[in-house]
Formats: sequence, structure tokens, C-alpha cells
Amino acid sequence: MADWIALGDRAIRFARPARSARTLVAAVRAWPGVVDVVVARHDVAAYFAAEPRVDPAWIAALATAPDDPDPGRDLALPAIYDGPDLADVARALGRTSEEVCRLHAAATYTVETMGFSPGFAYLAGLPAALELPRRTTPRTRVPAGSIAIAGLQTAVYPFDSPGGWHLIGSVAGVAMFGLDGPLLQLGDRVRFVP
Amino acid sequence: MSFSAVRALGLVTVQDLGRQGHMHQAVPPGGALVTDRLIAANRAVRNPDGAPALEILGQLAIRAEQPLYAATDTTAARLIPAGGELVVTSEPRRVAYLALRGGLAAPLVFGGRGALLCANLGGLVRAGQRLELAGLAEVAPPAPATAAPGAPARASAEAELPIRLIAGPDPGSFAPEALTLLRSSEYRILPSSNRVGTRLDGPALPRTGAPEISRPMVLGAIEVPRDGKPIALGPEHPTTGGYPIVAVVARDDLGRLFSIRPGGTVRFTS
Repeated sequence: MADWIALGDRAIRFARPARSARTLVAAVRAWPGVVDVVVARHDVAAYFAAEPRVDPAWIAALATAPDDPDPGRDLALPAIYDGPDLADVARALGRTSEEVCRLHAAATYTVETMGFSPGFAYLAGLPAALELPRRTTPRTRVPAGSIAIAGLQTAVYPFDSPGGWHLIGSVAGVAMFGLDGPLLQLGDRVRFVP
Repeated sequence: MSFSAVRALGLVTVQDLGRQGHMHQAVPPGGALVTDRLIAANRAVRNPDGAPALEILGQLAIRAEQPLYAATDTTAARLIPAGGELVVTSEPRRVAYLALRGGLAAPLVFGGRGALLCANLGGLVRAGQRLELAGLAEVAPPAPATAAPGAPARASAEAELPIRLIAGPDPGSFAPEALTLLRSSEYRILPSSNRVGTRLDGPALPRTGAPEISRPMVLGAIEVPRDGKPIALGPEHPTTGGYPIVAVVARDDLGRLFSIRPGGTVRFTS
């Protein structure tokens, strides 16, 4: 589907083709006039320096754009599994805390999208055994470095912020956002190492 | 060359024209809340348009250690002698810009020099802080301005014009009358507004029960939480969010909207 909708007079939004976020960012950034791209779960937005001029054929072409050749990086994040929601999560899933930690640490995650807060990476690949809806009452403040889960995703909060995910631990001694920007990039593969 | 902040009230930060091109990493562009006014202040001291300057939502008092040339976005450049002081207050407007000839020597971090509070890049300017100037200050002083840039009288006349909107992109999340209500009502800028969002008080915009999905956001988007009170996204907006967007402020009108003082009123059109 090559349809798009105006997102103001400097951006457009369209349905996300089934390609990796890295591939989409690289392809859309190459369009004339585009200064930035956001890839969310179901949508892509292209941001322009002036009034957007879009050929629907460009959007259609994304479905068959060549995969971004960069294989992406592998990162290991040191994790301490002592989050304030760990016991509740285990109880809700009918498991022990140790099992929850083991399941979480056994998976390899992929940075699928980034959003919400600078450097916040939505990590796909949470084992189905750990699937839970978000907390009914979000926290007004989640400490920076918190490891959290919700749905089939996990994430590390780069900064103190409000948050509605379940906090199962924290990363140790790693800044998720520094002077060079975010630690995690689209397409990275991430493991948590207790 | 340096000077000191003697008093800093409210939200005072170093700003430039922002960091473009990092939204895919969830980093919003940041930069001046009202870019035209930052540019006006810079031009008054013959700085490059995007030279780092001081954005003041409140009040800033500075003391010069050596003579320096300063201008705000509404006053012509003047020489502050060594030991001299200058006080800049944003009231009765929402924001004022103070530019120093040469620009502020803020370090280049992640492609920009301005503060991006949501990413802990830079921070608030505080009383007692010393600020450095970059180059140029020793060069010949700026040519005297023939008129103060952006005279306030003209600015306030323009502020009366309604702010233009582009409808959408989430019409399915709103009752049909929501956009009409937004276009026909008067809204007030709430004091809780900041660089992340400008909060509006006025008739609540009715939403349908459509589920909230995390979708791309944009500067100037008018997002609507469950309580129906619109929020116009500012330079430090989250790059994705779940609140539906009823309309987006036309880019050329964004500066006018963000210039309205807290407690001031605004009307929209499309």
C-alpha cells in the first residue's frame, strides 16, 4: 500500500512495510528532501526540510528494498535481576523469580524500534512464557538503567522517566545514553548477562 | 572570555537550532522553542543564525567579566562593560533570547551544542555558573542596528491571528466534532507547559474508544490524552507516543504559538 497521510506540513506517515527498521530508515533517508525517519511498530514517518513531496512509488518500492547490508552488532549487557516487580511477575506467571530471570537471560533480543525517550530501544524476542500486559498503574518515575518487560518486548530505560512496564532488574555500570548518543542502535542483537 | 550568571529563574538553557536527523534513535531535535527569535538575537550581534544563545523562560541576570556585546531578540546590541550587569526577563512574553557576540562556547555533543534536557545533554543555567564565549568576541563590534529586531508591537499584532492547523492523522480516534471544537474555541496556555509540550486548557476534545498505539510524533503535533486536553508537542517531544493526534500546527505558525505567554489565549484555524 503506497498511501500516506500528512503529519503536519513537514512530515508524512504511512503503514510500515514488513522490513527491518534499519532497512526502512536507510531507504527512506535516501528520498529527496527527507531529513529524518521514525520507524514505529505499525507506521513509518518521514520528516522533510520543506513541504513534503512524495511519490507513492517510493513507498511501494520499500516492500522490495534491498536489506541493509550491515549485519548489526552483538551486545551483552550486565544485568542484576533484583527489580521491584520481579516477585509479582513470577507470581503472575506461576513461576519462581529464578525461572523468570533464567528465561529472560536465555534469549537474544533485537532492537526493533526506538522511541518514547532518547535511546529507548524496544527489544523484540521476549519468550512467550514471560508475556504480561503492561502494569495497570504506571510509575511516575522509573530509575534510569531499569530492565523492564511488557508484552513480548523487553527494554532498558535510559533515563529516569514515567513507565508502565514491569521492572525485573537493572543494567550494571553501563550508560544507555552518553555523549556519543544512544548505546543501542536499530538492528543490534542484545543479551542480558547476570 | 567568560561571564557569570548572577541569577537564573525559571527555565534558562543554552540553545541553538537543534540536532536534526536522530529521531530514528528516539532523540528529538530539541533546539530553540521559538527559532525565529533565537535567530533574531543572533543577527542583532552579527552571530551566525545558529550560534548558541541563552533561551530564557523566566529571568536571567548576567555579569560581564570583560566587555562583551549582547542583544536580545527584541533589543539592539549593546556593550556591557567589564563588571556590568544585564537582566533579561521573558515576561510578558513566554520566552526571550539573549545572544552574546561570538556565541556561547558550549561543547559539541552528539551533533549539537544546545541543552537537550530529556537526554541529560547540557542542563539548566544556574546562578553562579560561568559561561564561556567562543571566538569572534575580540573582533570588531557589530554594526549598530538601525532598529531593534522583531519589534514587540508587530509581534503582538501577529499573535492575534489564529494558529493554522493541518488536520489528522488520527481522525478515527476522535468524535467528528473534535476538530470543529478545536477550531472554534479559545484555549489558554497552561503554566505547566515546557519544552516537551505546551499544554492547553479549554474544551475537552472527545475521543472514540480507539486503542492507543505507539506511533511517530512530530514537532507541533496536537496530541490528546484521555482527559481531552490538547498538548502541542515542543522541541523535546518523545519521538513516538500513544496519544492520538487530532491536528498538527503549521510549521510556520509554531513560533507564534510557542511565543504566547502562560495564561495567554490562542485560537486555531485550518
